Amino acid sequence: MSAAPRVTGMRAVGQEPRRFRVAPQLRGRELGLLVIVGVALYVGSVSLGATQRFREQLLEGEPGKVDMTTPADAGLLLIYLGALFLVHAILVMAGRRTDQILLPTVGLLAGIGLLLMERLPQNLAGNLGGLAQTQLVWLLIGFGIIAALAVAVRNDVWLRRYKYTWAAVGVGLLLLVFLFGSETNGARLTLTLGPFSGQPSELLKVILVVFLAGYLSENRPLLVDESTRVGPIRLPPLPYLAPMVAMWAIALGIVVVQKDLGAALLFFAVFLLLLYVSTARISFVVLGLAAFVIGAGLLYFVFDHVRTRIDIWVDPFVDPQGAGFQIVQALHAFARGGLIGTGLGNGLPTIAGRPPIPALHTDFPLAALGEELGLVGILAILGLYLVLVQRGLRIASAAQDEFRAILAAGLSLVIGVQAFIIAAGNLKLIPLTGITLPFVSYGGSSLLANSVIVGLLIALSERAREPLPPPRRVGRLRGLFDRGAA
Amino acid sequence: MDAAVISIWVLRLIFLAMLYAFLWMVVRALVRDLRAAAREPTTELGRLVIVASPSGEPAAGAAFALDAITSLGRDVNNSIVLEDEFVSATHAALTYRGRAWYVEDLGSTNGTFVNGSQVDGLAPIAFGDEIQVGQVRLRLERARA
Repeated sequence: MSAAPRVTGMRAVGQEPRRFRVAPQLRGRELGLLVIVGVALYVGSVSLGATQRFREQLLEGEPGKVDMTTPADAGLLLIYLGALFLVHAILVMAGRRTDQILLPTVGLLAGIGLLLMERLPQNLAGNLGGLAQTQLVWLLIGFGIIAALAVAVRNDVWLRRYKYTWAAVGVGLLLLVFLFGSETNGARLTLTLGPFSGQPSELLKVILVVFLAGYLSENRPLLVDESTRVGPIRLPPLPYLAPMVAMWAIALGIVVVQKDLGAALLFFAVFLLLLYVSTARISFVVLGLAAFVIGAGLLYFVFDHVRTRIDIWVDPFVDPQGAGFQIVQALHAFARGGLIGTGLGNGLPTIAGRPPIPALHTDFPLAALGEELGLVGILAILGLYLVLVQRGLRIASAAQDEFRAILAAGLSLVIGVQAFIIAAGNLKLIPLTGITLPFVSYGGSSLLANSVIVGLLIALSERAREPLPPPRRVGRLRGLFDRGAA
Repeated sequence: MDAAVISIWVLRLIFLAMLYAFLWMVVRALVRDLRAAAREPTTELGRLVIVASPSGEPAAGAAFALDAITSLGRDVNNSIVLEDEFVSATHAALTYRGRAWYVEDLGSTNGTFVNGSQVDGLAPIAFGDEIQVGQVRLRLERARA
């Protein structure tokens, strides 16, 4: 695991190994942005608290004087912001020159999510004293992961060398879910181990990107080689298409066995994007889209749950009280929100103590935010995801080698594509697929997996002065290229 | 309208404004970052970094920006001149074709090695790979973005 032997080459230049020398490095930009995040979340919390108190007084009868300065749940907010600044302090102490924008952006997104959880009925989910408190606990663990990865990951050998091991772990996770998973809302994606339960497909997306980065960076020269021609389409050597066909099959398998359309769509989209990022061949994307259309068409005719999703998407108002209920309610929520929303705590009438949209806290947070913050608020939130993607691609373009570049691009695209899939699903832009809105939705697996992604991105963004990890073997590829040598 | 309703309304607007204040700050930082990156001209396709060079010319740690064709050798007409007694006059060439890098041994006496295995003729290389020419070890790196 250690890169120690490789340091020798750099010592000749007179550089001492930086591994154990820690000099704190100020992160002014991060601190400034975090202060804005803190103020914004404080204002949001006060707005929520004032609205809630005002509504209580209205219910009691004559509204008197309403307290307009205290936040809804000061303790929760304090712990959350404290954790955010603690991570900042840890990054400062670690003294690495890493990205300063990811942490505040994630902090703001997760903070908005936390405000939403505070505002929803606390008995929706969570066994640690309510929805918001459970979410806070997961967020704290997530921040711990971000800090740990951002400080400790100096070397990516353990990721790139064992890429097939990672792939095997991923497939193993998938099989475990196939065999032992329990169904929630018709999708088999929860794995329960004793007291713990989680959704492995969240972790799987990280593993998938690590594997693809390893595979694509190693075989890129082969993939851009065009030895096979099918009509006008030029293809790489056929054996090297196998993993791609396997990916397509895995995505289909997830849909068929797990009935998890969201994860399948996410995996396949990220796979195609990474293929394009690493080879710059539009023909792959065209081919992949063709495969997608064929697969989707097949699934539509063979499987009921796919057909209902599409039918609901085409016209939810055919059955507004049954199949189309969720999406119809979401559309109404967006409509009630209008331009600037009804204000935090003021939307979402509850029916018998529950919000009208089923699975609001996991699958439809955007609809809730759309009602309470309006179009203006939603655009800001989507903007935050764009910032995450931009930072990831920027880190990729500044990376020292292909593995890191593809890894950084893939990790940020996972977040971006996932946010797009669920946001577009909520807005009835594409058929709805149950998947979480990264950092905003309630849910431990999702928060932890996305924290791993952000932690790795921060670690990857370090301005390099370190020796590169051992280069990959090249011998295996030589035979093929001898052909072109003359 | 009573005061409570108005102040709640103002709080809501301030919260939305804060979200955009954050985005504004971030976008400003991002644009500054991109401008700074654009100011450094990067017509280079890659960089070659000297990892070890016993003769000291060029010194270890030196980095060369690469064009589409770069020749390595002891002769002064090479793009990168390596003063090493185990390097041939015209030793090897690095070429960028299509979307990939290749190293080609130009019939050198002592051979060219990529990550420890000898190149016969042409071999594809990727960023991060190490090339050995004579006693000089060089590493191909991505261009500075």
